[in-house]
Amino acid sequence: MRWLKKTGAKILIFWAVLLAKATFWLSRLLAGGKGSSLPGMLALKVYPGVLAALAGQVRRGIIVVTGTNGKTTTNNMLARIAAGAGYTVVANREGANLITGVTTAFVMNATIAGRINCDYACLEIDEASFPVVCAQVRPDVVVVTNFFRDQLDRYGELDNTIRYIRGALEKLPGVKLVLNADDPLVAQLQTASGGERAIFYGLGENAGRQGKEARGVKEARYCPLCGHPLHYEYYQYGQLGKYGCFQCGFARPKPGVEAVQIQTQSINSCLVLSPADQAPMVLPVSGLYNLYNALAALAAGLLIGIEAREITGLLQSYTPATGRMERYNYLGKSILLNLVKNPAGFNESLKVFLRPRGRVDVLIAINDNAADGRDISWLWDVDFEVFQNHHRQINFFICSGTRAEEMGVRLKYAGVPTEKIIVEPHLEAAVDRILCAPGPQAYLLATYTALWPVERCLSRRCKKEQTHAAHMSSVS
Amino acid sequence: MLHICHLYPDLLNLYGDRGNVLAFAARCRWRGIPVTIHRVHQGEQVNLARMDFLFLGGGSDREQNLMTKDLSKRIAALREAIEDGLVVLAICGGYQLLGHYYRTREGQIIPGLGLLDFYTEAGPRRLIGNIAVELTLNGKVFKVTGFENHAGRTYLGKAAPLGRVLAGYGNNGEDGLEGARYKNVFCSYLHGPLLPKNPPLTDYLIATALKRRGLPFLLDPLDDRLEEAANQVMLRRLGVGP
Repeated sequence: MRWLKKTGAKILIFWAVLLAKATFWLSRLLAGGKGSSLPGMLALKVYPGVLAALAGQVRRGIIVVTGTNGKTTTNNMLARIAAGAGYTVVANREGANLITGVTTAFVMNATIAGRINCDYACLEIDEASFPVVCAQVRPDVVVVTNFFRDQLDRYGELDNTIRYIRGALEKLPGVKLVLNADDPLVAQLQTASGGERAIFYGLGENAGRQGKEARGVKEARYCPLCGHPLHYEYYQYGQLGKYGCFQCGFARPKPGVEAVQIQTQSINSCLVLSPADQAPMVLPVSGLYNLYNALAALAAGLLIGIEAREITGLLQSYTPATGRMERYNYLGKSILLNLVKNPAGFNESLKVFLRPRGRVDVLIAINDNAADGRDISWLWDVDFEVFQNHHRQINFFICSGTRAEEMGVRLKYAGVPTEKIIVEPHLEAAVDRILCAPGPQAYLLATYTALWPVERCLSRRCKKEQTHAAHMSSVS
Repeated sequence: MLHICHLYPDLLNLYGDRGNVLAFAARCRWRGIPVTIHRVHQGEQVNLARMDFLFLGGGSDREQNLMTKDLSKRIAALREAIEDGLVVLAICGGYQLLGHYYRTREGQIIPGLGLLDFYTEAGPRRLIGNIAVELTLNGKVFKVTGFENHAGRTYLGKAAPLGRVLAGYGNNGEDGLEGARYKNVFCSYLHGPLLPKNPPLTDYLIATALKRRGLPFLLDPLDDRLEEAANQVMLRRLGVGP
């Protein structure tokens, strides 16, 4: 009977993998698509146990990255570290982070017989999908990057998201946690892993230079454990910083992996202190975000036994994924494309405008499809007010996407003169205008579903450049 | 000079609702009407009698509990100001709080401030999506748009509705009503935020606040083409355009 069951499962895996692979190649061939979720979806339909069956064959460990911002970048960095250290790795590299995308990653790496030959799986998982995916893949290590409000219409409130994740972690006894010490909403999860000590990473000095004032989006005004006001010595960005609660004693844990001597210019450099070692780190990407992403990947890398110096060496040549600070050139005009999807990330992207480097044309493309979040009111939590003092260097703002007009309204109330606001809902026409505009440089910011069409237009017409020392913060 | 009171700006700032304060202030300033914004946090003193416009947003459940505790200490002053004609805009959680109570799915009753006659009960699923509502202001009919996202179903007692639902759910998805109104208190489930997207309502609130102080309340028209275009796009999408 057991033999029959086992053989039955093997046959199902065979069909699931075969169908998924055929779908993947067909969708590539016919639609030119990326085929990142349909194959997995079909494989799960044929055999719902396919993900657990394939994930169970990973030899050394499964590492999962979740949180609001930085999932794709952290996971890509981690996959690079593991591969660079000589391991074979399965990763969902393209930001396809629901159960279907994760399943696609596994089936595409499986043989028709349903065998996977890999040492590590590095998986980024959407916060809402985290419980269901973890129940299937049983991760050994979970990295949590940060929590910001993001697409509330899909997830309910941020508190709910954190509750989902805590609940799922409690069902994973023995899982090792890699947590952002500087985010109180993340650090509070240290109690969720059933006695296993969490490994914390963070910045060991005030690199955000925002001081004590809470500026912009601040999620955690109150202690997540007891509800009393949380006190900050300083903020890095958002609610990340050095915090403590006078009432219950909850405070920023001392990180095991800590960055000091931090320089954040167009590249990031720092010295990383870890329990066994210290290593200088230079990242070819800018933004405090990316420093956090790299520290998260580094901490997870240390956990699986790779040495700090080897990791920092591998990170030095990291190249960002699509829409994370991509650089193009159109007849000498330099163009930067960046993904925006929530206030915290958008605010970081806007910091580029605080360092004027000549005149700029700006394109902001806002779609409200399911993957972007149907509710666009989060745009009002973004500090577009920075343009009150910095719109002079900007020739104009082209607002595009399905909610182009609303983006225009937002800029108007932020103090941008209406004659500088151009509404062009069609993405292709908007890209066209930006390429033909006179400014020597252009910044393009797009939400998730607007990003791919914009990227396609750019790839067709521009020369793609290496992203070394790009000046825009990457937000994933 | 108009005094704007933004209550608990750090607690009740879900869904970009601070845009309502930005819009009220901007549309005053564009007309040369000076404004001062008072951001009042938990436990801080505020003289409500001096205020001209009070904004109350929505928060998460946890934040809302903190706020209810603080607000119940100010209830006498708030009631007095409302009876005196203070212009109030309360959105979503802030709206629910002004009624008698909120009953959770588990049957627990969370008392409200009882300033307006309505109550709210949690429903089985959240009511989420774009919404269009018809309002009548000074005898003129307007279509306002926004985004709603609430589990609570609100049922009005003596409080009047703010408007009639053209597309979406509104107060409870059953009776076709949206929001509540009493004296100069305006309550709504519409995020978006409501005021920047719907200038006729914003201007109505500004004029009402000016009138209450005996100031000239005929407002100069502004160039609202962007707002109108955004409004039209959504009305057309919801199938209730002109």
